[in-house]
Order: sequence, then C-alpha cells, then structure tokens
Amino acid sequence: MSDRKAELEKKKARLQAIREEKERRRREKEQKDAEEAALRTSHVDKDQHKEIDEMLSSLGVAPVSDVLSSLSSLTSGATDNLSSLATTDNSLPSNAVTSQTTNLKRKTPILSVVNVQTTCIPPKETVVYTKQTQTTQTSNERDDEYNLNPGLEWEDEFTVLTYDDVQAEDEENSLPTLAGFQSKLPPGILPHGLPQVKEVQPACTSLETSEIKKEEPAPMRELSEEEKMMIVLSKDFQNFMDRSGRIMERALSENIDIYTDYTGISNNDEKSEDKSGTRLSLNRVFHDEKWSRNRYVTSLDWSPQFPELMVASYHQNYESPHEPDGVCLLWNTKFKKNTPEYIFHCQSAVLSATFARFHPNYILGGTYSGQIVLWDNRVQKRTPVQRTPLSATAHTHPVYCLNVVGTQNAHNLISVSTDGRLCSWSLDMLSQPQETLELQHKQAKPIAVTSFAFPYNDVNNFVLGSEEGTVYSACRHGNKAGVLDMYEGHHAPITGINTHMVQTGISFSHLFLTSSFDWTIKLWNMKETKPLYSFDYNGDTVMDVAWSPVHPAVFAAVDIQGKLDVWDLNTDTEIPIVSTQIEGGVAINQVSWTPSGTHITVGDEVGKIWLYDVGEQIAHPRHDEASKLMHTLQEFKNNQTDEEIDKSASFNSGPSSLSSLTSR
Amino acid sequence: MSNEVDEIMKRIQSYKGVVGTIVVTSEGIPIKTTLDNTTTVQYAGLVSHLADKARSVVRDLDPTNDLTFLRVKSKKHEIMVAPDKDFKIITVQYPAE
Repeated sequence: MSDRKAELEKKKARLQAIREEKERRRREKEQKDAEEAALRTSHVDKDQHKEIDEMLSSLGVAPVSDVLSSLSSLTSGATDNLSSLATTDNSLPSNAVTSQTTNLKRKTPILSVVNVQTTCIPPKETVVYTKQTQTTQTSNERDDEYNLNPGLEWEDEFTVLTYDDVQAEDEENSLPTLAGFQSKLPPGILPHGLPQVKEVQPACTSLETSEIKKEEPAPMRELSEEEKMMIVLSKDFQNFMDRSGRIMERALSENIDIYTDYTGISNNDEKSEDKSGTRLSLNRVFHDEKWSRNRYVTSLDWSPQFPELMVASYHQNYESPHEPDGVCLLWNTKFKKNTPEYIFHCQSAVLSATFARFHPNYILGGTYSGQIVLWDNRVQKRTPVQRTPLSATAHTHPVYCLNVVGTQNAHNLISVSTDGRLCSWSLDMLSQPQETLELQHKQAKPIAVTSFAFPYNDVNNFVLGSEEGTVYSACRHGNKAGVLDMYEGHHAPITGINTHMVQTGISFSHLFLTSSFDWTIKLWNMKETKPLYSFDYNGDTVMDVAWSPVHPAVFAAVDIQGKLDVWDLNTDTEIPIVSTQIEGGVAINQVSWTPSGTHITVGDEVGKIWLYDVGEQIAHPRHDEASKLMHTLQEFKNNQTDEEIDKSASFNSGPSSLSSLTSR
Repeated sequence: MSNEVDEIMKRIQSYKGVVGTIVVTSEGIPIKTTLDNTTTVQYAGLVSHLADKARSVVRDLDPTNDLTFLRVKSKKHEIMVAPDKDFKIITVQYPAE
C-alpha cells in the first residue's frame, strides 16, 4: 500500500511538474506573442491576432505567431522544422527553433509581404465555433487550424504551398522554395488555390447539384410508346377518359362571360326581344357528324328522372354501309356541349327508343329486325347489353311502337310490330314475352301498326294508327282483349298518334290527335268513331303530332316540307298560332315537347334535332285554358251535328246538298 | 378501345377555341397530347404541380373533401384541369369571344 501511495505521490508530482512546465511554456509564448504582435501592429490587426491566439492556445494549438514564424522560417530555408511546427504538441526544441526563427525573422523584416496582409479576412467568431464542432472528429490538426479560423486562410494556404513545394523539391530537387513560390505565383496561384477553392465550393455545390439532379430526372422521365399504350389500354384509363372527357366537354361548352360589366354600354339589346309572345326561336341543333348524319330521326323520348336528357333513335345511314345500322344517341339539353352524352348502336335500324321509365340507366330500342334491345349507360359498351330473341314467340317484323307502362312495382314494356303483334315484356326477362296479343279487327287480316299511344294513366286501353289509315282502339286485358273500336277518317297511312296528357280539373284524356299522309291532322274523341275536327291546313304529308304537356289546348305538328306548326285550339282552329320552317328544306319526322313544355324538339331526315324555345303564352298557360277548351270542343260538336244535319239533308234532296256545300 | 380515347380527345379538340389537350399521369408524365413536345412537357409539369397543390389545399381545409375541377382563367387563355385518381386531363383554350 505504502508503495502504491508513494507511486501515486510520485505521479502527482510529475503531473504537477508537467503542468508547471506547460504553464511556463504558455507564459513564455504569450510573452513572445505579445512581442510579436507589437512588432506586427503595422501589418496586422493586433486585437485580431490576440483573439486568435487566445483561442488557439485555449485549444492547445500553436498560436498564429508560431505559424507566422514558420513562414518566416520558410523564407530562411529552414524547411526541416516545418512539420513539427504545424503540430500542436510543440516540443521544447521546436519551440526554441521557433524563437530562433522569429529572431531570424526579426532580422529580416523586409520579408513581411505587404500584399499578404491584404488577403487576410476578418474572422467571425460564430462561424468559428460552428466550424469547430463540425470538425472535432477529424484528427488533422492542420484542418483544425484552418477550420478554426478562416482568417488563417492565408497562412494555411502557405503551409499547403510549402508542403507542396517540399514535395516538389523532394521530387524535382529544383528551384529554391521562395524563388519557386514567387515565380509560380502568378500562374501557380490557381492550381494551388484550386484545391482549397474546391474544398469549399464543391461542399455546397455538390449538394446543390445532387438536389437539382434529384428534381430534374422526375419530369424528364418520359414514357416509352409501349408504356403509353399499356396505360391507354388499361381499364382505369378508359374509365377516366370517359368520365373526365365528358366533364371537360361540359366545362368547355360553358362559355358564359363571367366578366360582364353592366356599368358599361351594352349593345346586345335585341337579346331581350319579345319572349313573351308566341314566338318560336331556335335554341340549338343536336347533330353528330359521325353518328347521326344522313340518318333520319325515328323517335324522341325524354328521361323521367333527368328532364334534360333526351334519347333519339336514328335509322340507317345508306351512305356508310359499314357503320352500324341502328343508332341511339343520348342528348343533354342542359349543357351546351354539342356532342351526345352517350352513343349506342346495334345491328338493325332503331325505329323507336324509350327510356325504361323506372330504370334510369336503361334505354330500350325497337328495331327493324323485330328485336328489342336494351342498352345500359353504366356499362362501357355501346352495343346492347340485352336483346330479345328473333323468334316466332316474339316480333319478327319492325317494331315502331315501344312504351313502358305501369307503376314502379308493376310495369311492362309494351311493343307492337307491323304484323299486328303486341308483346308485353318484363325488363328482367327479355328472353320471351310475358304475353302476346294478335291485333286484328274482327278476325280479318292483322293490323299494320305504325304508331300507338296510351291515354294518360291507362295501362290497359290504347289507340293504334295503321297503314291503311284506320285508327283503332284496343285493350290488353279483359275478356275482350284485342281491338275494340275502329275510327275511320283518314284515307292514307297514319304517321303519328298522340293522346292528351295535360292534367287539369277537367279530364281530356279521351282526346287524341292523328297525323296522316292525307295532309290532315284529326282530333278524335275515343268515345266517337268520327273525328271531332280535321285540320286541313297543311299542304303536304303531316309526319307527327304532339300535345303540349302543359297547355291543354296546344299541340305541335310537323310536315314533310320541314314546317313546324304550333296550334292553339282556343285561339284559332283554322291556322296555327305560330309556325316555322327548319333550314335546309328537309322533312321533319318527329316532334316532341320537353317535359316542362317550354321547348319543342323536332327530328329531321338528315339526322338533326332542332330545339326550339316556345313563347311565354304557350309555355305558361292561363288557368282558364281548360274551360276554354271545353267551349271549343262544344263548338266542334255543334259544327259536327250541323254537318250531319246538312249531310242527311243532302242525302234526301240532291240540290240541297249543293246549297249545303256552299253554305259551308 | 384506344380509338375511343382518340375520339374523346378529338371531340374535346373540336371545341371552339381549344388550343390543346394533354392527358398526364399522376406524376405529370404526359400520355396523350395534341400539342408539340416542348409545350406539352412544360404544361404537364407545371399544371400538374399546380393541380396537386390545389388538391392538397382542398384536402387540408377539409380532409373529407377533394378537388374535382380546376379552372385557371388568364388574360390570354384558360387552363382547365379535370383531375382523377391516377390521371389528369388538361385543356387549354382561348376564352370565347
């Protein structure tokens, strides 16, 4: 124990001695530094060096003066000591050398290069500390020294230079260092300076460039054609295009000028032109270059769920036999986009199309072949998702009549073909009709049905227009299912038939209109076999008629010359209250009102559907229109009886018939 | 199927004032375009960034919300973006006269 104690004691003593030694050395150094500083005040900022020195000494690094002295020693050619000088743990002999060299330096003050002083950059302490923490791990003292104080840049540079020069001397054994340095300075400052510059700059530029590199490649990456094809053909992409394309089209056609300034002078006063009257103004034309051109419009129907949606069926385009024969387009009247919302087609010309009233996604079509096809707008498919068979149990003749009747829970699809067969279908099963009915009058030949209509809220009784020009009423159920009555009046095929749909206090559901090839439109009462009235205004084949859905006394009719007439029975029964002619002088096949009764659409024979705005008076009827219509109807009846009296009179006496004619 | 895509592109292109249409992936890489290469790359990169930012704004304000359409009106033209999960469709048009 005592031994160890003694040993400890000894060690302590030694430590003390070492400390004292260090202290002494430091003091010596400080003294020397002070001297040095005093000497160099003219060249270098004294405080600055002091700061540096203090800092360095606190870290146990050779103070600035040492380094400086090393430089001076360099000038004296004492290159051997340089390596030792750079180290921190200055041994006593080296210290002596430095003192020697400083003494030497003092003798040769000429060497204090003036321009060197100009390169000195004033240090920033904050920078110093951060740099120190960054470089503590590095064992390289020279680096430490350098990093510690950027102000030492110059000295550091010098050490580097000298090192290099030493190497150069070692290798080449040529020029003296100073001479070499000085001679190399103008061109050599770059190559020597470069490593240092690189040390600093790449440190940040490399980072930056790497960042830039990271950013840049992303947008620059281009997909190969194959990759693009893969994406384009993917289901996701197809769905996306279908959906977003539609949205984009709608957005594009929504070209309302939101920058309208009402404080400015408006020069479009004519816009607010009389909307109040009975005027018909063309709103827009629905037309698709590929799908509807040269096909005549066979039917129009409106969606019960979305009143702005209209389905139009088109006949075959004889000019392009490779396109599908039958086309069905879904148009949107709400958005101003001029392409169809959906496109459907099938192999046979579509003669009639209707929305499956209680299934918003289904569209039904009756075709020339006799098949009934069903499209679904939820499926990314333009061809029918379902179709009825072409068999003797169903239709084998063209289906011009198609309608969904009934209620949400009990509804049927009713179709009639030109061979007089009526089929009722359940939409859940189109493989075979639920029931069929042969429409023939008194067991004679079957009726060639061209058009049919159900009275409002009736699922059983309906009226039929035939090719012979006779109109029939029929019922689906009951002990006398089939044709009930025959209405004779027209002398040529019936083109259109329409039942009264407006619901007012007085029911007019027994009324219906027919249009015919015999240039007339006739108004009928279901209870009477003779027409109530005949409109003999048209000068050509009348193609279709349609009652207004809101105004009880108004209907629209179209003819083969491309004329659209709107009649108001309460205003005038001789001439239409308003008529217009479509451009191009083509025939109009179909007429239909929008469910709101504010627009009329007509379909022509070249695939265009014209949408007209109707005037206020027609679109918004007054309350007394229904009772007025009652009066009009009464008048018709009176005229009818007068005529009958006249007729019977003329039957009795020949000459009087002439007088009756003239009296008319 | 791919010509249906072309058909939609053509249809959009046929609208009055439409300068061009670009379909890009969620990363902003163009798949289909009607513009020249430089313009496409420029629009695809910049506009899809904008759309992403717009979407994040909408989502940050209300996480249950999402961006459905982006319309940028400028003096010279209008940029419309219909974003989707995986793709975006960008249309540039001159405002209607």
